[in-house]
Amino acid sequence: MKLLHKTFLCALIALVGCLIFVAAQGKQQKTGLSLSEKVQNLVDMNMKKPLLRFNGPKFREYVKNTPRNYSMIVMLTALAPSRQCQICRHAHDEFSIVANSYRFSPIYSNKLFFAMVDFDDGSDVFQMLRLNTAPVFMHFPAKGKPKGADTMDIHRVGFAADSIAKFVAERTDITIRIFRPPNYSGTVAMITLVALVGSFLYIRRNNLEFLYNKNLWGAVALFFCFAMISGQMWNHIRGPPLVHKTQNGGVAYIHGSSQGQLVVETYIVMFLNAMIVLGMILLIESGTPKAHNRNRMMAMAGLVLLTVFFSFLLSVFRSKAQGYPYSFLFK
Amino acid sequence: MNRGSKILNSKVAGYSSLITFAVLLIAWIAGFSSRLFAVIRFESIIHEFDPWFNYRATAYMVQHGWYKFLNWFDERAWYPLGRIVGGTVYPGLMITSGGIHYVLHILNIPVHIRDICVFLAPVFSGLTSISTYLLTKELWSPGAGLFAASFIAIVPGYISRSVAGSYDNEGIAIFALQFTYFLWVRSIKTGSVFWSAGAAISYFYMVSAWGGYVFIINLIPLHVFVLLIMGRYSPRLLTSYSTFYILGLLFSMQIPFVGFQPIRTSEHMAAMGVFVLLMAVATLRHLQTVLSRNEFKKLFIVGGLLAAVVVFVAVVVLTMMGVVAPWSGRFYSLWDTGYAKIHIPIIASVSEHQPTTWFSFFFDLHILVCAFPVGLWYCVKQVNDERVFVILYAISAVYFAGVMVRLMLTLTPVVCMLAGVAFSGLLDVFLQEDSSKRLANTVNSVQEIDDQEESLERKSLYDKAGKLRHRTKHDSTHENGISSNLKSIVILAVLMILMMFAVHCTWVTSNAYSSPSIVLAFHNSQDGSRNILDDFREAYYWLSQNTADDARIMSWWDYGYQIAGMANRTTLVDNNTWNNSHIALVGKAMSSTEEKSYEIMTSLDVDYVLVIFGGVIGYSGDDINKFLWMVRIAEGEHPKDIKESDFFTDRGEFRVDAEGAPALLNCLMYKLSYYRFGELKLDYRGPSGYDRTRNAVIGNKDFELTYLEEAYTTEHWLVRIYRVKKPFEFNRPSLKAKDRLIPPTNFISRKNLKRRKGLIRNRPIVVKGKRTLK
Repeated sequence: MKLLHKTFLCALIALVGCLIFVAAQGKQQKTGLSLSEKVQNLVDMNMKKPLLRFNGPKFREYVKNTPRNYSMIVMLTALAPSRQCQICRHAHDEFSIVANSYRFSPIYSNKLFFAMVDFDDGSDVFQMLRLNTAPVFMHFPAKGKPKGADTMDIHRVGFAADSIAKFVAERTDITIRIFRPPNYSGTVAMITLVALVGSFLYIRRNNLEFLYNKNLWGAVALFFCFAMISGQMWNHIRGPPLVHKTQNGGVAYIHGSSQGQLVVETYIVMFLNAMIVLGMILLIESGTPKAHNRNRMMAMAGLVLLTVFFSFLLSVFRSKAQGYPYSFLFK
Repeated sequence: MNRGSKILNSKVAGYSSLITFAVLLIAWIAGFSSRLFAVIRFESIIHEFDPWFNYRATAYMVQHGWYKFLNWFDERAWYPLGRIVGGTVYPGLMITSGGIHYVLHILNIPVHIRDICVFLAPVFSGLTSISTYLLTKELWSPGAGLFAASFIAIVPGYISRSVAGSYDNEGIAIFALQFTYFLWVRSIKTGSVFWSAGAAISYFYMVSAWGGYVFIINLIPLHVFVLLIMGRYSPRLLTSYSTFYILGLLFSMQIPFVGFQPIRTSEHMAAMGVFVLLMAVATLRHLQTVLSRNEFKKLFIVGGLLAAVVVFVAVVVLTMMGVVAPWSGRFYSLWDTGYAKIHIPIIASVSEHQPTTWFSFFFDLHILVCAFPVGLWYCVKQVNDERVFVILYAISAVYFAGVMVRLMLTLTPVVCMLAGVAFSGLLDVFLQEDSSKRLANTVNSVQEIDDQEESLERKSLYDKAGKLRHRTKHDSTHENGISSNLKSIVILAVLMILMMFAVHCTWVTSNAYSSPSIVLAFHNSQDGSRNILDDFREAYYWLSQNTADDARIMSWWDYGYQIAGMANRTTLVDNNTWNNSHIALVGKAMSSTEEKSYEIMTSLDVDYVLVIFGGVIGYSGDDINKFLWMVRIAEGEHPKDIKESDFFTDRGEFRVDAEGAPALLNCLMYKLSYYRFGELKLDYRGPSGYDRTRNAVIGNKDFELTYLEEAYTTEHWLVRIYRVKKPFEFNRPSLKAKDRLIPPTNFISRKNLKRRKGLIRNRPIVVKGKRTLK
């Protein structure tokens, strides 16, 4: 029994010793990965994911600690929904496109890796780099510390995949050709639309009269014209803000200069144009022989719509054009 | 006027044609005279940039003849490449003014070709309004036509491209466009080969005049296609389109610049496809009359499928083989609106290729932009073959105008036509005497409208008379329930709005579109006097008088045509931006340091560099403000050497003061603009070297130029010209002649007569010529 006890104790000690040894060995491994091991680990990780996701310790291990012979492009971001960072999501998409394009391109090598650190995984990284904004794109060169130009200026160049690739090319001389996964959403929407229209026509195949409805076609054409003359295409290309905030806390719906416009402003103008057109149509329609009273009402309404909304449009125009001298009905 | 069928008696016919004639004449005169602001304020000169090239080419053609012009190789442009002018221009403009010049000289009227060029566009605006009248008359009614003609005579959207002195293709092309459309609509209506051949000839003129002919050759096939879809096929359509397409194709290939494009580029493929489709439809229609119903069905399905597959495969294969060129960048950017911004900075850099705000629409068209949807609505409601055309015209033109502010020009005619329809419809209702005459196109109502039209043209002088006349009609019956009071109020309101339109047009023309941009004017705020800055012509004249005839002048491409036209010197790049890499090289020279750019300049044999600098007078269109585009274009070709980010401060700002980026403060453009500017005090209190355009004190004040020297600076420093030194001038600093004299000093030589020579005592005597014997 005693012998058994002793043996058990010995075994226990041995086991504990073994455990301690293993643990110690593990710790040793953790503190000092050799360069080749690091590269090997990175390549292995990269096999699974083109964009590596680091937390604090991993960041220190692979990015901060020397020795390194590889460059790192790191995106520091905050993707958690609670952080309410809208552009982080877009930036992440664009960054993944770059990482994917690099990973599956012929120039892929172990000289450059793409990684990201989320604020909720490694807030210590943000403290270490003294960052208080997100997203930030940084380049960690193979030798030395990142300099000022190693942080991408997203305010100026934006964070589109092309500009990220340009930034990478500038810093590391590796030119990545961006390959965007083809965007099927447009195609899908188109097919859905065509299918809807097709099925609609099929269901109504016995009654296609509405295709000959000129009011419908006229309304579609008019709507298109209104959209164009109120500058929706400008909005589409330039992407202006919805409204402006003025200095004293108010909200401006009209852009002050003639060079720009706000989204709400274009809707206002669209409405004004539509009202003027409606007024003119009412005026013209009042000439058709109908009940007397109704014609008079139509003519009155048309006149009021035409003059009031035209003068309103003119005053909006006047507020944008400096020194424009003319106004109608009211300033 | 061809209105015989509608006329009830000859007296009315006489009045109505008199009024038509009078309105069109007044429209012509009004259109002509409202384009003369620039000539009256300044003088009869050619404006801006492109017109200078057109003028130079016209002058060359008049001087050397047509065939010399076709074979003209211009070695003064794009040095050292040169430019084949005859094969790279649309010659219609030059032929037109050259022809006018020729005719006038045959008649012994000695007019200088410059005056013809200056006044060509205003004269053609009258022709445009006549052809707009004809087209609108075909589409709707003569009354609407007169409205449209008067609108287009004075609308700013068209004046912007056709003021006196703006000698550009658009000035005559809009006339050709409207006239082609008129003939086309005529031929659709009549189905006669005569009219469609006329349309093809007019199209030929359009092709020879402007690259915008692509709009015609896509819009007319679209019209045919939509008519086919709507089931409005008719033999008239077949006759007119096949005649027009075949003749137009052959004609358009006669222009050297167009060449084989009509059968080889994607822009023209739609026309061909519609032609084939029309032929197929016609064949099927014919077979339908011959074959039995069952046979026809089988043939229809098999033949249709086969034809579709064959056409599709053919187009794909031809495109892949490179026989059919894909869409060119400029056209592609119309569809994919973000394309130009990313891929073609040289297109994106031009301000007229920007999208259009609602403000510009209203600025250029005023009430017409609100009224034309009304006309569109009625065209849709009362659709027929030719109104389908105007609907398509309106929709496509409004889209293009939305994408590119420059294409407002193609929208303007259709807006005028449809607004004419709207206003004539409106006045038809409210100027009606009684319901018995309420046919849409009664002569009487036309007459009334014409009167209104005249009163509009004369800027409300006849307003009162018009009102009075309607008062006399008050006792007439009012069938449609609208009291005469209400009628007169409506008419008054509409007339007020039209009057405001006329006033607006004059104001816009006078303030926005009548600056020659070669001569600048500014108003002195103290005494209200007007000062003229004539620095551009001063500099160009200096160049022509003080430089060698073959001197090569480097400047940014904006000024290439002007240097060639006014100074008659060789330029490196000009406004015909056909060679992007050459432009990028100039951009690189401008944005590199002096030393590096000297290498580029010597490799290009540059003798003089010309920069535009507005810092002294606050002129905002100068080279420093354009500088970022130079950097961008240079970066596109030389990404290793030029980086846009180097020219911004750390915070991403572009600034010229002491905090500006070092690359900017040391680049050639900066140095040439601000050389010796740091010494200049503009007013007594302000600091020296204060740039009025950018409102900053410049950052790099004290520097010398090593490789260049200042040759000439104009009165207001607007144009600065530098001479590039030859290598020996700075490698071994040469002394100027006056410095070469030894300066007089107080030193007196001690060598008097006695001690004139130094002596050596016990000097061994050397006997020369003999060798001592050993």
